[in-house]
Amino acid sequence: MVKKSNAAADLGVDFLADAPLYEQVRDSLTRLVLERTLSDSTPLPTEPNLMELFGVSRGTLRRAIEDLVRDGLLSAEQGRGTFVIQEERVRRVVWQRLSEVAKPDSRFDMDLRNFVPDFAGSTAAHKRVAKRSEWARAKVIFCAPDNSIEQLRLAALTAGKKILVPTYGLSRGFIFLDGSKLAASDKQLAATLDGMEKFGSRLGPGDLRKVGKIDLVITGATAVTLDGRHIGGGQRYLALEWMMMRELGVVDPSTPVIAIVHDCQVVDEMVEAEPDCLLGIICTNTQEIDVRVTREISAPQLRRVQ
Amino acid sequence: MSMALTTEQYREQIWAELSKVARPDSRFHWDFSSFICDFEGSEKCSDQLLELAAITDRGQRQIFVTPDNCLEDLRYKLIQRGIPFVMTTYGIVRGFYRLDPAMIPASDHRYAATLDGFDRYAEQLSLCQLQETEKFSLLVTGGSAVSKNGVRFGKGHGYFDFEWAVLSELGLTDSSSVVADVVHDCQFVNEVMPAEKHDVVVDWVITPTQKIHIDQRSRQRGRVFWEMVPGTEFAELSIVAELRDIQNLGPL
Repeated sequence: MVKKSNAAADLGVDFLADAPLYEQVRDSLTRLVLERTLSDSTPLPTEPNLMELFGVSRGTLRRAIEDLVRDGLLSAEQGRGTFVIQEERVRRVVWQRLSEVAKPDSRFDMDLRNFVPDFAGSTAAHKRVAKRSEWARAKVIFCAPDNSIEQLRLAALTAGKKILVPTYGLSRGFIFLDGSKLAASDKQLAATLDGMEKFGSRLGPGDLRKVGKIDLVITGATAVTLDGRHIGGGQRYLALEWMMMRELGVVDPSTPVIAIVHDCQVVDEMVEAEPDCLLGIICTNTQEIDVRVTREISAPQLRRVQ
Repeated sequence: MSMALTTEQYREQIWAELSKVARPDSRFHWDFSSFICDFEGSEKCSDQLLELAAITDRGQRQIFVTPDNCLEDLRYKLIQRGIPFVMTTYGIVRGFYRLDPAMIPASDHRYAATLDGFDRYAEQLSLCQLQETEKFSLLVTGGSAVSKNGVRFGKGHGYFDFEWAVLSELGLTDSSSVVADVVHDCQFVNEVMPAEKHDVVVDWVITPTQKIHIDQRSRQRGRVFWEMVPGTEFAELSIVAELRDIQNLGPL
């Protein structure tokens, strides 16, 4: 019994604390999961083992696990065990790292689950993009509504390019802005989520063809992998947007896709995650990574997104 | 009949009307429970506000504005006129900021008036720093609805009531501080509503077509009702810890 309590205390479970026991178990279980290597796909220890580890009852343990299943970090499979959902683990690991360099959102503050933040050093990443031939050639650019590329949207408008930006959560379709038609003094505002709708024209998915061919796709991300997988915030908006544009024929597998991220968002291990779309180039605050992916998201993957 | 239900019914009715004139938020879309929306004609509200003596004759006193969307045009016009103001970040999460128009290039005036642009130019003030500044001559907020005796039933979070309480605890409001509420005409309820002890009753209701003065000379000095804070979203705010520190109250 004494031994059990010691182990539990090491894991951060304090039987005398105010916080409910199941919440403490949930939080230390989360820590254990995040400490595992990303390539570790083995199931969590069995229920009796975990009960012993935390020194708690089956009911308490199950409540903690149910919470984490609901949050998308674990999946409990009847008869097989409890597994970690890699994609969500990557998000959580990266969110921890990002909290050091991220800039708060005007609404969501530092609640990274709700938005892709700007970060210290994003300007350096933007400069790498602006030096590339894909950028120079691009007349029409799809830009994600991520805070990390706000200043790149401004650079595109300043260069007289046209940009297509989805509204946050795609709730009001897409906004199309023509840099060559905007007054110089309006461009900074037009590059923000708060301002873009004052200047741009709103397009529904059916109107996207009017934009013509999209020459370049630029996005932020929650995380990216070295093999070119884009991992978003969990709602998979980029996947949905890519799929719409793909079906309308305004993008194709040869359309260059650039992700702007901080170094801490680059995950160098293979992640068994379904990507939102496949990246060709990753620009960070310190480096430029050419992924050179030739494959595209498979049809079954797209269907799952739908 | 319970009052809470009536308030709720008013809110539903007003939201239905408001959705016809409201402008969506860049993040929250039409979810009125998450933000105070801008609406058609808010520009006329700011023009009327700028004529209030609390602005024109403010002397050295300051102006406080909430981060509500219907006040974006007011913020823009204050910046254009070179009038500094104090604002909180959304949900008071990062506390109070002061925006000095002298720091903003003319091309960015509109940008700085939005929540996305505000951060670039505004300077954060700790409560200690804020305490060193002048008292407020005018405090402007938006709201979901306001009654004819100046009782706001906002979006339900009570942010402005709390901001008023904190500023008052810091000695930054007094009997000559004027409180104005900017709403669309459909948000004005021509009925007397009871005020709770923490409600800030307002002196002015400003709509696109009306400027209604309400006599609030008997308004009590604001204060934080600490017993009401635990368990609310205010409990976790950094300014709460800081205020308790200033007042030697210890942690909540």
